[in-house]
Amino acid sequence: MVTVKLYASLRLNPEEKEFTSAAATVEEALEEAARRYGPAFKERLKHATVLVNGRHTAHLNRKKIRLQPGDTISLFPPLAGG
Amino acid sequence: MLGGYMGKVLDVNLSNGEMKAYALPERLLDLYVGNKGLGSRLLYELTPPGVDPLGSDNVLIITTAPLTGTGAPSSNRFNVTTKSPLTGAIVNSNCGGNFGVYLKKAGYDALIIRGKAARPSRLVIEEDRVEIMDAADLWGLDTHQAQEKLPAKTGKIVIGPAGENLVKYAAIVSGNRVAGRAGVGTVMGSKNLKAVTAAGNLKPQPAQEGLFKETCRKWRELSRSHPATGEQLPRFGTAAFVNICNATHTLPTRNFQSGQFEQAEAVSGETLAEKYLTGNEGCLGCPIACGRQVMLDGMKIKGPEYETVGLLGPNLAIGELEPIIEWNYLADLYGLDTISLGGVLGFVMEAGEKGLLKTDLAFGKTANITKAIEDIAYRRGFGDEMAEGTRFLAQKYGGMEFAMQSKGLELASYEPRGAVGHGLGYAVANRGGCHIAAGYCIYLEANGPITVDPLTVQGKPGLVILNQSTLEAISTLGCCIFTTYMMLPRKLLELNARSRFVSRMLRFGFQKGGNLIGRALALPAWTLPIKPPFISFPQAEAHAHCTGRRFTMGQMIELGKRALNMDRLYNVREGFSAKDDTLPARLTEELQRSEEPRSRVPLAQMLPRYYRMRGWSADGIPTEKTLRRLQIEQNNLL
Ligand code: SF4
Repeated sequence: MVTVKLYASLRLNPEEKEFTSAAATVEEALEEAARRYGPAFKERLKHATVLVNGRHTAHLNRKKIRLQPGDTISLFPPLAGG
Repeated sequence: MLGGYMGKVLDVNLSNGEMKAYALPERLLDLYVGNKGLGSRLLYELTPPGVDPLGSDNVLIITTAPLTGTGAPSSNRFNVTTKSPLTGAIVNSNCGGNFGVYLKKAGYDALIIRGKAARPSRLVIEEDRVEIMDAADLWGLDTHQAQEKLPAKTGKIVIGPAGENLVKYAAIVSGNRVAGRAGVGTVMGSKNLKAVTAAGNLKPQPAQEGLFKETCRKWRELSRSHPATGEQLPRFGTAAFVNICNATHTLPTRNFQSGQFEQAEAVSGETLAEKYLTGNEGCLGCPIACGRQVMLDGMKIKGPEYETVGLLGPNLAIGELEPIIEWNYLADLYGLDTISLGGVLGFVMEAGEKGLLKTDLAFGKTANITKAIEDIAYRRGFGDEMAEGTRFLAQKYGGMEFAMQSKGLELASYEPRGAVGHGLGYAVANRGGCHIAAGYCIYLEANGPITVDPLTVQGKPGLVILNQSTLEAISTLGCCIFTTYMMLPRKLLELNARSRFVSRMLRFGFQKGGNLIGRALALPAWTLPIKPPFISFPQAEAHAHCTGRRFTMGQMIELGKRALNMDRLYNVREGFSAKDDTLPARLTEELQRSEEPRSRVPLAQMLPRYYRMRGWSADGIPTEKTLRRLQIEQNNLL
């Protein structure tokens, strides 16, 4: 199992900060998240930053990133601050 | 006269009460524009080499920009420049309080404060009256009490007890906003100046009003519709960075011993918003309004920023927001820089743990921190030594390798062993360990949406130069640096997130091409007559319509480079060189994570290239040719 963590505006339900998933790839985990949280979430996912164990993945083929038990996927919207 | 300016500077000598108002030469304004750039140049011209930062010959300079007070969004900031008593280097500190707008209402673009008053004083600036008044009734008050006692409907700057007691990292406070870094409040305190107020009814006039208003309208729209500035910053504030920095190993934890904190979520922007937020607070006229208003013990007070949360939270292994909110509030009342405060406390905790000094402060324990903050502000007991900063403590007790500072300035809240370009930035920053003077490379390495490999040195010198020059220019135009987030268009962010091809191209472009970009930025301004595609730059457009002068992308980058080189030149005159562009050994020698052999900052590998691309000698000093190219003259312009 892997953990999918949601942050900032991607946390549509403040009670649910993360969920566990049996997804085998990052792509599958993202599809599962989209199904779980509906269209508003899917819209936000369009410009989300997807990290696997703290590493950015936008430049990688997410269908091919195979997940290992215990991996963490973190989803962030484009953030600002400093 | 160029549009946007009031046409006068006010020059006050507190030692003899002499006051002058005069026009700033057009060439000075052409080259250095306002805020940061103008402040740096004025300091260079107005202080003798080797000036004692706390002596009467040091000068405190407050500058505004043409956009200040015109209604341009997120641009009502003022800048404080002086020689820092903490570092001995130049310091520019930028503040979103209302003082700049009111200074212009009173008819002045800048304020120069020289000398030292014989007794506690305050300076009153009105359109037709400038007066140095006795401030015995204000001395000793905290920054809120002092501001409450000052007349309403004025722009204010004040210092708190920390500034009065010459704590080396005392801040200047304006409303709820703070010019925090490197002891600008200490210099104000050394001049016996408790407060300055400004008031009037004048208004800066943009040269091309119609075009200017239209640009500002589009700017506001862009700011509101961008996911970063329109949604994340207003909703979660700057502390939204806690979680992503934690995920990317860049959240300083236990005095930068690691980059991840097990209780990060508990002190995140999300938790702050969920549990404490009662409303947003913006700098005057800012549609983003990233400031937090929170409820604590039935009181509505200002909430902490990311930097404060990071350095008083994870950096001290504190995993609760409530005490951090309280300490932030206290630091503001006393007028203390929270970044340096967190750095000092972190160092003391680690030095205590290692037996180098005796302290009742310990990682993960909230006990005694409130008292330590008070002791620092009033220089009581060991607080008297903590008030001197981390470098002083390490010199006295040992532990320089984990004294988390550069040039004497405590590092901001990013652990650079998770983003090595950011580490290079810290080392070369003219102000010392400041994330903004460093260029904030981390946004392209770890916590932004478009990123390169955070641990490679490839392209990093060029990216640091790109970021530094842009931030310097934005600050010189008087805009908030957070306006740079909207420069990456929404569409591009979407493409980056959805298309592997686009993401790879961007990553490849920034990483492999980073140094090429750095070299291209060395070209003269005329080589970049129009803005590159995709990038939105309403700040430059608004500046052009405000002043009535053409202002190209190339000129903007050149302005940033000139401002940065001006700072460097000031520091060189004070004896700084490559020997001072350093980081503590913890960051350059110790691995952050044993399983990641690249998790340290290979500074020596990046520095020579950075210097070359900047047009500096191997010793980190701008060459004659570079200064000539940037039209930085040795002769005074004033
Ligand atoms: S974005 Fe935040 S810091 Fe910047 S001007 Fe607006 S409110 Fe002030």
